[in-house]
Amino acid sequence: MDDSAMMDSGDIVIKLENVCKTYPLGKTEVQALRGVSFEIRRGDFISIAGPSGSGKSTILNLIGCIDTATSGKVAVLGNDTATLDDERLTALRHRGIGFIFQSFNLVPVLSIRENVELPLLLDGPEAKREGWHGSGVHAGRGRSRIDSEWVDHLIESVGLADRLKHKPAELSGGQRQRVAIARALVMRPPLVLADEPTANLDSATGDSILELMRRMNRESGTTFIFSTHDQGIVSLADHIIRLKDGFVMEDSRKNGQDPDRTAQIAQIAQIAPQAFAAAVGEYK
Amino acid sequence: MIVARIAFRNLFLHKAKTALIGTIMCLGIMVLFVGNSLIDTAIGGLRRMFVQGYTGDLMITGPTAFPVTIFGETAGGEETIPHIAKLPDYRKLLDSRADVTGTMPMLTGSVEMGIGETLIGQGSMFGVDIGEYRKFFSDNISLVSGSWPEEGNGAWILLSEQSVAMLSRSAGSQVGPGSKITLSALGESAGTVIREVEVKGVIRYGQSDSTLARISLCDSDTMRDLLGFASLRDGAVVLSEEEAAFVESFDPEALFATDTGIRVSDGNASIADPFRTDDTPGVDDAFAPSTTPEAGTVAAQQPDPAWQFLLVKLADSANPDKVMAAVRTEADRLGQNDRVQDWVESAGSTARTAQTVRLVFDLLVSIVAVVVVIITMNTLVVSVSERIPEIGTLRAIGARRAFVRRMILLETTFLAVIAGALGLVLGGGILLILGRSGITAPNLFFEALFGGKVLIPQISIGAALRAFVWILAMSLVSSLYPTAVALRIKPVVAMQGD
Repeated sequence: MDDSAMMDSGDIVIKLENVCKTYPLGKTEVQALRGVSFEIRRGDFISIAGPSGSGKSTILNLIGCIDTATSGKVAVLGNDTATLDDERLTALRHRGIGFIFQSFNLVPVLSIRENVELPLLLDGPEAKREGWHGSGVHAGRGRSRIDSEWVDHLIESVGLADRLKHKPAELSGGQRQRVAIARALVMRPPLVLADEPTANLDSATGDSILELMRRMNRESGTTFIFSTHDQGIVSLADHIIRLKDGFVMEDSRKNGQDPDRTAQIAQIAQIAPQAFAAAVGEYK
Repeated sequence: MIVARIAFRNLFLHKAKTALIGTIMCLGIMVLFVGNSLIDTAIGGLRRMFVQGYTGDLMITGPTAFPVTIFGETAGGEETIPHIAKLPDYRKLLDSRADVTGTMPMLTGSVEMGIGETLIGQGSMFGVDIGEYRKFFSDNISLVSGSWPEEGNGAWILLSEQSVAMLSRSAGSQVGPGSKITLSALGESAGTVIREVEVKGVIRYGQSDSTLARISLCDSDTMRDLLGFASLRDGAVVLSEEEAAFVESFDPEALFATDTGIRVSDGNASIADPFRTDDTPGVDDAFAPSTTPEAGTVAAQQPDPAWQFLLVKLADSANPDKVMAAVRTEADRLGQNDRVQDWVESAGSTARTAQTVRLVFDLLVSIVAVVVVIITMNTLVVSVSERIPEIGTLRAIGARRAFVRRMILLETTFLAVIAGALGLVLGGGILLILGRSGITAPNLFFEALFGGKVLIPQISIGAALRAFVWILAMSLVSSLYPTAVALRIKPVVAMQGD
């Protein structure tokens, strides 16, 4: 996969078209997403909001290329994810997407520095052959040479320069999430996904984490997409997508409602009027 | 390499599982190492004893359907092992080879021993050219009393120390150098043959067990007579017209005449034993005057003396295949069905018992291996199941399936190497302790198995390597299913939290 394929021709980094996702539940099925469509632009700081079961995580899974849609089209960084095999999806995740998990998901046996470096060290020989230089790895003779300055800069940016050799178990929740943010950014990905990044943190720590993410978004121009059910932190986003029962209830930007989006939502309302009406009723 | 770092540190993170699997692997490799070293030592001792003292590295025999032991036993039950018709050709071939250091012909048979008409014992006996025998087995034979037989000594026997003790007990008087002993054997076609021999000396073997220590040596011509090789002339001797006519006109009654000129030797009349190298007088000569056949009545074509075995010593005992192949090719060229076999076949039941013990041990090890694999595999599966979020996270942030596969394989490999090294150290310690005290054989079975009364275990590098390879293979097999389980973990599980 080359850089040109990874990067979208325009400012659109994510595009969902009429995406449905159904999960089996015993002998029945659960419709997690029902005809979701939206676009996300480069450099945005986006909140996908909604209550539990609204489909936030499902959307992040689809955007993060770790799950596939039942129907519809999911384009990530210009790639139709349905056309990619496991190897290519892995490469797309590795080089194009940074992940911040609700439970931090650091590797317990690695130090803070090693956790941050980890994505750089996962780069196999294919990346070097294909000339992917977007990350902090430089192809060296025999093994990858880590861009230590970049790693140091990231760790310093998240305020953990004095914890380099500590293990995750020795850090607080907030500190662990900071490590996860640094890890998500180390490959210089165009896109970072954060699944309820503050859910396991107290409010003060959660605020600082969001502030950090916002700062990184501004400094690096990386697109940040985070899911949350906390209305308080939704307001920090400059692009809000609200979900309810698998429908998009609201797709708004701080600088005003997109008239095309409003028309799209209305179109969905016609496709599944009853379900949509029920969702809207509850939403209001 | 980050994958190695993760794999190695995971061992310490999951201490209980590491300790469980590590202990199993450590004990497994220790038992394997010690067991194989003991067996290697025993077989090495047996090999040394037989190769250097009795069989040589290889043994060529006359045409038999089954392998023949140095004691003349065959699975086919042949009473007399046929002689090697083209022995000089084999010797010529072998003596010219750089990888052969010596050859020696011999005969073997089971004989009864007596003094006068009193039976005092029986046992295996080798018929040899004593000069060649002493040269071939120079390190294994020494003279305790008496003297070495010399050319022209006539019929002689060298008794082993153990035989002397046994015969003296049976006879009620001391048997030793100068004693006259009668040897008798029931030949397949020659009837009972009796020969009187003089005890020239008492010998001691450098390496022997209770069976081998009873073996005595006698001159080859006496053994030929006892084996009845005079009647094995079919196909080996071409009779002249005169001989054929004599055989036709032969009257058995003449055997009992006193001046027939016919020599009575073994119940059958013979013109002259063409397999004998001289006219050594036998016990029959004591009862009937020995007469030398007229020159004209001797076989027109005097055949080579009959030998049943040709023992071969190799420069490299561990690599007999080339020489065996050359002998087989030579046998084909000569149109002979002669057999060439290694020391294990020549040693017979003793070596086979040792090899059977090894097979039984290997079988037990295989059963234990299956159990160890199952326990290890289950523990690894549990370990993988507990790490689903971690593995899912690795996959989510870009680790390929190969990375996960390497991680699991490296974990088990590291564990196997560490546990294996520890097991080898422990096993080595046990062997060193046993090597100082030695293991005394509790009975004759173990004495035969040990190749002596005491086994001094030695650390076998081969056994250590085999054990190490075994543990690595076990770890590899054990990790296959857990690896498959790990590879089925989807990255989406990373989103599901702890």
